[in-house]
Amino acid sequence: MFFHSVLSPQSSVLLLIPATMLPFAAFLLIFVFTRKCPRLSAWLSIGSVAVSLVCSFVLFGLNLKMTGPIQYSVRLLASSGLDIPFGFLLDPLNLLMIVVVSAVCFLVQVYSLGYMAGDPGFSRYYSFMSLFAWAMLNLTLSLTILQLYIFWELVGLTSYLLIGFWYEKFSATQAGKKAFVMTRAGDAAFFIGFLLLFLHTGNLSITDLNGPAVSAALPPPVLTLSALLIFGGIVGKSAQFPLLTWLPDAMEGPTPVSALLHSATMVAAGVYLFARLFPFLRMSPAAMEVFLAIGTISMLLSSTMAIVSRDIKKVWAYSTISQLGFMIMALGAGGYFAGVFHLTAHAGFKSLLFLCSGVFIHRYGTNDVYELGRLGSRRMIVPTVTIILAAAALSGFPPLSGYFSKEAVVASLAELPNPAWLLAGLAGVFLTAYYSFRLIFILVLPRALEPGPPAGLDPTQTSAGGPNSPIPHAGVETGHESHYWVMAWPLLILTAITVILGFFRNPLKDFLQAGLMAGGAAEGGPFAWSHVAALGLAVAGAVLAWVEFGRSGAKQIGFVERIPPLFRLFSERWYIDHFYGLLVNLVIDRGISYLCYQNDNKVIDRGIDELAEGTVDGGRIVAFLQSGMIQYRLLVIFAVMVLLAIYFFFPVI
Amino acid sequence: MIVPFGHVLLVAGILFALGVFCAVVRRNLIMIVLGIEIMLNAVSIVFAGAALRWNNLEGQTFVLFILAVAATEVSVGLAIIVYAFRRTGSFDPSKFNLLR
Repeated sequence: MFFHSVLSPQSSVLLLIPATMLPFAAFLLIFVFTRKCPRLSAWLSIGSVAVSLVCSFVLFGLNLKMTGPIQYSVRLLASSGLDIPFGFLLDPLNLLMIVVVSAVCFLVQVYSLGYMAGDPGFSRYYSFMSLFAWAMLNLTLSLTILQLYIFWELVGLTSYLLIGFWYEKFSATQAGKKAFVMTRAGDAAFFIGFLLLFLHTGNLSITDLNGPAVSAALPPPVLTLSALLIFGGIVGKSAQFPLLTWLPDAMEGPTPVSALLHSATMVAAGVYLFARLFPFLRMSPAAMEVFLAIGTISMLLSSTMAIVSRDIKKVWAYSTISQLGFMIMALGAGGYFAGVFHLTAHAGFKSLLFLCSGVFIHRYGTNDVYELGRLGSRRMIVPTVTIILAAAALSGFPPLSGYFSKEAVVASLAELPNPAWLLAGLAGVFLTAYYSFRLIFILVLPRALEPGPPAGLDPTQTSAGGPNSPIPHAGVETGHESHYWVMAWPLLILTAITVILGFFRNPLKDFLQAGLMAGGAAEGGPFAWSHVAALGLAVAGAVLAWVEFGRSGAKQIGFVERIPPLFRLFSERWYIDHFYGLLVNLVIDRGISYLCYQNDNKVIDRGIDELAEGTVDGGRIVAFLQSGMIQYRLLVIFAVMVLLAIYFFFPVI
Repeated sequence: MIVPFGHVLLVAGILFALGVFCAVVRRNLIMIVLGIEIMLNAVSIVFAGAALRWNNLEGQTFVLFILAVAATEVSVGLAIIVYAFRRTGSFDPSKFNLLR
């Protein structure tokens, strides 16, 4: 290790090691030793994440005034011409991310003490949670893209393990497999992208890639191509179009997993990568256009899917895809701070939304919003109040953090020459407010007699038992008060963060801009009209939701549900899943697999078989000569004589 | 020479080939001996023609020797065939495959 243990910013490595390695130690210990003791496993895991949290805060505080990135590296992979260091990179983006990641990890793990109590896989759950914490923390602190890729894959693995946590349920294992395979497809593109970079520059270190030297070394087509391929990884991991259908299915996992992985941290890893390589990706304007487009499409598509969903977790899943699209739009438009700030704020309120939903699901055993409303979920005060605040933050109402972050995103979109992006962003704001408040009103102001839209029309609707009532889940009906408070105070902490984070906007902005090496994009000037428009549209969305769902006497049928073809399109996820099913069936199973199978059977196996049979037949023919017939021997004598004569009398051979 | 030597060689060659054919393909011991006789006669033709070609009488002398040897060999061969027939009751060479 090359480090100088002299001054406090340099001694950050002493804090980094426990922060990053302890969760891994916890994972090993729990997985190997303490499986039979759930309480010990839980405390090991929570303890290690708490230490990481403390270390993250201290690191953040120590390095508040940093002017440039700090790196600690060890030379691990070195051969002639190939030199990839492994280590840690600290810069403002990282420090912010590790605080966010460890905070959300910690709160979710504490929450899981209540949620997963009594589950037979309790220790296994905490071991996977520790593994995830380790992988995510190391991902954010990675020095080179290779290291980041290693932890990226590890995070994907953990996601698979946790989505399929209740493995007795077939749909859960299918969902885990789907998530892993779809993200893997994106990761393949990512790998090719950075391999391309490596071939051209011989250097994968992130600080070097973001520096100006690289753009000089790469021809523009290669730059654009590698940027697009790396974005492929982001599309997979952050569930953007076209790889977005794994995320709603990933709701088969326990709700804390959804809160942690699929809202705040893992899917944010994609956006983190974008921010991480922002100076590099920005060098290719064509690629940025593509990123903008994909972000926009994902955002609008998933918002439409959220409007018609009956399952509370799926609404938030679509919302996550939509908000990630929003962040990618911001980053694609050049608004580095806007994207990162929205990432931070979103981590707070989205995990809060999931955790609140989890409290309701845990208590009533169903995921369906109409059911939950009717069963009286509004009687639980803390979750109800916090979910309303979180939905307001998601929609962008002041003075919550969502308002400030959305304002920043809309401002960066307004800077673009083409107003279509801004309009799309504003449409997204409207839809976000609409679906969030639709859900809130259905939940909080239920109609006892009106059943809402017919359940048969929504194929993604889960059965009334709810997918989150796992098979041997203990005590759904008994009101376990101690669990309630274990689950409630993380909600309160997250709500507090949501409320006050907005006011830290300017200090955070200075902190982040100081770290942006190649010069950040200028934050938009006073584009007041776009802010007013955004706020107005958010209010309009909420009012429309009120008109349709909240008013006493309203039928709780949304405007989309009145148009059946549109309703079907949205609830079938725009037939993307059908398309993938068709693709896999026709192209992969019947096409490529069939060809390969035929090749293997008919060409390769047959070839060897024919060779063997030919040898046997040839042997049988030659055996005739050995059968003892004197005439064949005579024939052989003559043949040899003729050959000898040819050999001697004509110089042939 | 009235008949060119090449023609003589050609005829003798064809005759030799016919002799080989008769010895190898026919399923009869006597036919094998017959084939051998034909081959010997073919060789005799070559020798006679060579004697005429190089004006050397040794060729014709050799033909006399061949005839003598052929006669001897035929008598011995037929004796063997008679004995073999008595042993196995058949003239088919495929029956004599103990030396496989």
